[in-house]
Amino acid sequence: MSSAETPVPQEPADALAAVAALRRLADQIEDAAVEQAMRGGWSWPQVAEALGVTRQAVHKKHAKRLIAAGVTLRRR
Amino acid sequence: MAAIDHYINTIIDQGAREAHTDGSATIEAHHLLLAIAAERETTTHQALASAGLDHRAIRDALNREFEHSLNAVGVSAAAFDLPRPSSAPDLPSQLGASAKLALERGFTSVDRKKDLRPAHLLLGILQAEVGTVPRALALAGVDQADLKARVLRTLTNAGE
Repeated sequence: MSSAETPVPQEPADALAAVAALRRLADQIEDAAVEQAMRGGWSWPQVAEALGVTRQAVHKKHAKRLIAAGVTLRRR
Repeated sequence: MAAIDHYINTIIDQGAREAHTDGSATIEAHHLLLAIAAERETTTHQALASAGLDHRAIRDALNREFEHSLNAVGVSAAAFDLPRPSSAPDLPSQLGASAKLALERGFTSVDRKKDLRPAHLLLGILQAEVGTVPRALALAGVDQADLKARVLRTLTNAGE
């Protein structure tokens, strides 16, 4: 994207709200993408490495939800 | 349990359901606002309705705020076409920073706990000058200062 296409918020309030909204969007995309990957047979270490976080972190954040949703999880 | 304790619990429980619907791990101030709109408590309902707000209108305003804030940095939530993730099995139980602040502001607006009314909770949420709730209300064309004044008036009238 060129600088002409990228809007840069002039107001601190807009820039700060954008940060909050991006975090929320990132969480939503993470939930959807991790579920899609695990349903597709990815392992925890693969998902963790792709996200750039530890396996423990990704497991702690998503395992309970995916187990409850009936997703078959690969251990390794 | 005092009626006000029962009301606070109801709002936090309903706030947890609103957060769960959002896929949020914490209950935030805007979830408490949705919860207040979902409850049939007369004074808060009348105050919100006088500003044209009900549960649906607040939800729409919040969605608009989300898109608007993302658009400020050239992002659109609609651009991500991923299947909707499964919901968490449990409702969130933790209050986020914005909800804690709103409750604290509501509680400290009275000298004695026995003076606390449902409208004080709404007042606590409306005292925020920055963040998701003020931005959503502004986008919906709601005059927040006017709404706050109206809530305050209902409390003063009730105290007379």
